[in-house]
Amino acid sequence: MVYMALRSLNLPGIGTKYELETEKKDIVAIFFLKSGNIQMYTLPRDAPAPAVAELTPAEARRIGAILSGAIMEADQESVEIAFSALSDLRISIHTYIIGRQCAGKSLEDLQIRARTGATIIAVSRGEKNIVNPPPSFTFEEGDAIVAIGEADQLKRLEQVILVA
Amino acid sequence: MEGIVLALSVCLVLALITKKLALPSIPFYIIAGLLLGKSGLALVHEDSIALFLTHLGLLFLLFFLGLEIKPDRIWSNQRAIVKSGVIDLHINILIGFVAAYALGFSLLDALVVAAAFFISSTAMAVTSLVENKKLLMREAETIVWLMVFEDIVIILVLAFFGSSGEHPVLMLAKVVLVLLVLVVITRVGRDYIISVLKRDDELPVLLTFSAVLGIAALAGAWRIPESFMVIAFGTILGTIDPVAFEIHSRPFKDVFLVVFFVFFGITTDLFAHGVSLVAIIAVSVAAVFSKLASGVAIGKVIHGDRASGMEIWTNTIGRGEFSIAIAAIWGSAVVSSTVATMVIVTSIVGAFAAKYSTHIRTFLLGVRPEGGTPPPRR
Repeated sequence: MVYMALRSLNLPGIGTKYELETEKKDIVAIFFLKSGNIQMYTLPRDAPAPAVAELTPAEARRIGAILSGAIMEADQESVEIAFSALSDLRISIHTYIIGRQCAGKSLEDLQIRARTGATIIAVSRGEKNIVNPPPSFTFEEGDAIVAIGEADQLKRLEQVILVA
Repeated sequence: MEGIVLALSVCLVLALITKKLALPSIPFYIIAGLLLGKSGLALVHEDSIALFLTHLGLLFLLFFLGLEIKPDRIWSNQRAIVKSGVIDLHINILIGFVAAYALGFSLLDALVVAAAFFISSTAMAVTSLVENKKLLMREAETIVWLMVFEDIVIILVLAFFGSSGEHPVLMLAKVVLVLLVLVVITRVGRDYIISVLKRDDELPVLLTFSAVLGIAALAGAWRIPESFMVIAFGTILGTIDPVAFEIHSRPFKDVFLVVFFVFFGITTDLFAHGVSLVAIIAVSVAAVFSKLASGVAIGKVIHGDRASGMEIWTNTIGRGEFSIAIAAIWGSAVVSSTVATMVIVTSIVGAFAAKYSTHIRTFLLGVRPEGGTPPPRR
């Protein structure tokens, strides 16, 4: 694969410009302004004038994450990540709050991985975060857990462990 | 003291309004100054405190200009800079000088007016390109390098202005000596200066502030051109950590520069004897159109296109901070009123022209022209 040249240029007083001509002869240009904001121009091959969006750094990072192929679906509690290079591997990460029915039980008692396939990778309790909790770890009501797995493994986790 | 507070509060309100309307604020500070001062209600007078604060504003403007100058970058972009710059310089200095001289200015005043007439506001041009989202058009780069060229010219003009009647050779020797010492100090103490700039107490700001005032005081004591020394000092410090120095001097620049602009208006007497108001307005109108002539010439030479020239024109009409700096340093009453008027007229016309440049091009050239927006295909 041949990549088109990415031209970068320092413009005094303005900032840094990155310009890329795509295979289809469209132009994408990104300006990192001295103000900290980012202006993104796209100019389709046959268009007389470009379209422009001005982004804050946070917005630019979000777009960057999307373009770099990570986030497919995002809501408050879950993200799904698709790795297109690994035969379209999709992994979901979901957060849950532990209710009364699981309180006082340990990871070993609940046998989460054996029964659902999902894995608990972190627990947030008050101000503290526990990453990769050991099998002896015992839940308390109100713990926030982060579970990772395929979408149906997580659904099973919800039905079998958390609601039952 | 009350005068400064009154002037600043008016400027604060104006700043809020102009930012909201995306208009340049400099002309409105000057209008406020004209209304409050000699030309208007005479509510505010310049006292020694105001004089000191405006001086600080000028020093920090020049220091900032110096920080922005990157000699190596200019060196490697000579071709882009020189060609358009030389056209710009010749056309505008010539028109400015002829217009001023023909309208009755003295020879020296006409030369100073020509310099102020020549230099577009870098701040306004940059803001216009960013705010109007014109960065992708091929003329944007040309305009940016044009501003760099103008800045270099202005540094030379200011170096010449500052001459204190000292013998030129002696003065040059002193300037070179001071610059050499500064370069050596910043080379040797580089790591130490960087470590000081990284602290989060009062030291970085104190260092920046006293360094700028220090070099100005030294220039005064040694009778060498102060403006030039402050700019050169900025450039030398810019080789250490331009961003840190910008951050630590920005609040001073922002506040004192507003004081500088408003007091420039306050001390300007629009009705001073010497040259008629008609002549002054004529110079301002000529200022708008001489940049059209130079813009079209540059557009033809660099991009082979008149429409490109119109785009360059609309973004470089506004004269601003450096024109005022020249007038303030020169100090002649008739030059001050001319430059005040010119800045007000050109910057307001320029702001609207840049915003509606596509319409203006369509209107003046008849058809909707090719030039202007699309960047070159490579």
